[in-house]
Amino acid sequence: MISIRNLTFRYAGSPEPALRDITLDIEAGEFVVITGKSGCGKSTLALAIAGVLFEQHKGENRGEILVDDSSVLHTPVFQTAHIVGLVQQNPEAQFCTLTVQDEVAFGLENRCVAREKILPRVHAALEATGASHLIQRNLASLSGGEQQRVAIASVIATDPAILIFDEPTSNLDPQATTEIFNVIRELRSRNKLTVLVIEHKLQFLLPFHPRTITLANGRIEKDISVTYPAPGELAAPRPAKKVSAASSPAVCVRNLSIQLGEHPALKNINAEVQRGEFISIMGENGSGKTTFLQSLLGLIPANNGSVSVFGEKLGRAPVSRLARRIGFIFQNPDHQLFASSVWEEATLAPINFGILSEDLRKRARELLTDCDLLGREADHPYRLSYGQKRRLNLISILTYKPDLLLVDEILIGQDHENAHFLLGLLRRCADDGGSVLLVNHHPGLSAPYADRVLFFHAGELVIDADAPRAYQQLRQQGRDAFTPDGLFSSAKTPGEPE
Amino acid sequence: MKARLQYRPGNTYLHRLHPVVKLGWLVFASLYVFLMRSPILLLISLLGVLLVYASARLPVRRLHGIRLALTTSILLAIMQMVFIREGPILLSMGKWVLTENGLSAAVRVGVRFLAIILLSYAFVLTTAANDLSYALMQAGLPYRYGFSLVSALRLVPVFQQEADIVYKAQLARGFRYDQFRISRLFNMMRSFLLPLLVSSLSKVDALAVSMESRCFGMYPTRTYLRAVPFRRSDFLASALLIISTILIFIIPAPAR
Repeated sequence: MISIRNLTFRYAGSPEPALRDITLDIEAGEFVVITGKSGCGKSTLALAIAGVLFEQHKGENRGEILVDDSSVLHTPVFQTAHIVGLVQQNPEAQFCTLTVQDEVAFGLENRCVAREKILPRVHAALEATGASHLIQRNLASLSGGEQQRVAIASVIATDPAILIFDEPTSNLDPQATTEIFNVIRELRSRNKLTVLVIEHKLQFLLPFHPRTITLANGRIEKDISVTYPAPGELAAPRPAKKVSAASSPAVCVRNLSIQLGEHPALKNINAEVQRGEFISIMGENGSGKTTFLQSLLGLIPANNGSVSVFGEKLGRAPVSRLARRIGFIFQNPDHQLFASSVWEEATLAPINFGILSEDLRKRARELLTDCDLLGREADHPYRLSYGQKRRLNLISILTYKPDLLLVDEILIGQDHENAHFLLGLLRRCADDGGSVLLVNHHPGLSAPYADRVLFFHAGELVIDADAPRAYQQLRQQGRDAFTPDGLFSSAKTPGEPE
Repeated sequence: MKARLQYRPGNTYLHRLHPVVKLGWLVFASLYVFLMRSPILLLISLLGVLLVYASARLPVRRLHGIRLALTTSILLAIMQMVFIREGPILLSMGKWVLTENGLSAAVRVGVRFLAIILLSYAFVLTTAANDLSYALMQAGLPYRYGFSLVSALRLVPVFQQEADIVYKAQLARGFRYDQFRISRLFNMMRSFLLPLLVSSLSKVDALAVSMESRCFGMYPTRTYLRAVPFRRSDFLASALLIISTILIFIIPAPAR
């Protein structure tokens, strides 16, 4: 079905090739997972097979890709698009229209399919992804999981024989992630599709028994039928920790309610955070986690109730002053790189606060060394890889040692090694007496680090307990996907249709 | 609550009117108030515009920016009354005289300005921009232009959201917007626009990949599932539009 011979590709302006000498054969009906560290060339390979790589990016290529016996390099991308469908990472970014119906019809309309033949195919595609009920909706009003269902429907509407998913769930909560992978499983068994998934979250794909290809540095490193860590090898949650009640809490939230537009984002939240605590904040997409985190730095004002941090009630104080003791890291690394070199980026905030000293410079250098960024000080931050940018984001906050760290989803798209490195840095801050709040969708990664779990549902704080008890409660409530080993308990019956 | 300047769903005649026909009427009406010279007729036309608002149940008094529009139109009118000194004198006060020419020019300029603003508002408030793009494409606009309009509609709120995040991320890193200094302006602009540009480019990139891989641009034309219905009332409205357009060019200028 897909046959790649000695493919090498180098992006224009980049010194190193992104793909080196790839040779690969994929049979019709195979299920293949492509994995590897961030920046290893996975996404480039996906774009190459779909043909868009050569259309979109200038670069140098050698070798050959045959899809269904025709050369991808020498046929227009439209031709390849008849056979290969591509679903990208961010559902929102790949929508070309504003409504569900227009979106699913988009590919068919471009192929000049007659109007009366479009609607039945739109219905069939939405039905196959479990999204029939959304047909009349606006895309902007959908949740992340719903958006990705529609994105998949809009690709399968044109009946491609090969489906490529480029980290299709990286922005989704664990529940939605499980659901999307189930959709992929059903599609495959029903339509005998060839499926390629690019993914870090290998554990979710256990029930598929896929062929797993690992890329490293643009080369194929391993090509095997799956081996996974057995459930027993999973990291256990951190045991409950005794917190000395004597010290005053770092954060105290009382009856906090926040309204965003027409929509109540948070309802009557009460919570405390102690010094030295590492808290994992979880919940579905849109349950209020980010709003909660932002309210702790006064980025979103309270409509009702109060937030106090280190004994000071938020509301009047300017954020730029509070930020001295409260560090905040946002979801997308590109939204928070402001300086023109890595070194300036690392020391930017201390300069803004007027506290840059020789000690802080020394600390910045140490952090850069720890994060393997020494020698890159003069580079522009945007030249770093995704994983390196995330480390730099963390360094730029850690240099001035804030007492409270608010971190919004730093684990998205990170390979395990980098994820554990970042979590280790955060844990060290908590052990040094700081408080860390981490919003995340990765209980399997964060469990060994977190002392306590806050779980939000529809704007309410429904669970607030030390880690072992919290995971137990989540299991009792049927929210297994949010527990560290939830994937394995929900994957008891691999291959069986529900 | 102020009524924001965006589509408000509704089911009145104006809401249901075919977007392209409505656009035709907007162009016609704007042309009409420009060609019309008689102050009395213009004032009557302004009443007509208000009737349009009433029929579409639009809250004219709570429209966003309506005060600014009203103030500007009154200022424009006053300027005409102050500076035009030709023609029969109606009123004089010391050095200042109000002439007949001044008064009618004041009505003309003030009403024209207000009428055109109100008509455009009425169009925006009763037309879903997405419907307009699809209707224009089906009426013959090349679909590449039509979809640049659709993409713009889709991306504007996304960019707004991103700008908000970048601003917050700057505050969180100690950027002091409250202590504004002109010497820092350039640096602040750069460190605001660069992240926005980078993240926007990656969004646009993903969109381009998505369009290409779904055969956008494969043929010179394409089909449409969404049919913007052309009802009998739309036929009537277009016939009336054509007749009216011919009429305003036939009727001799002095009578207007």
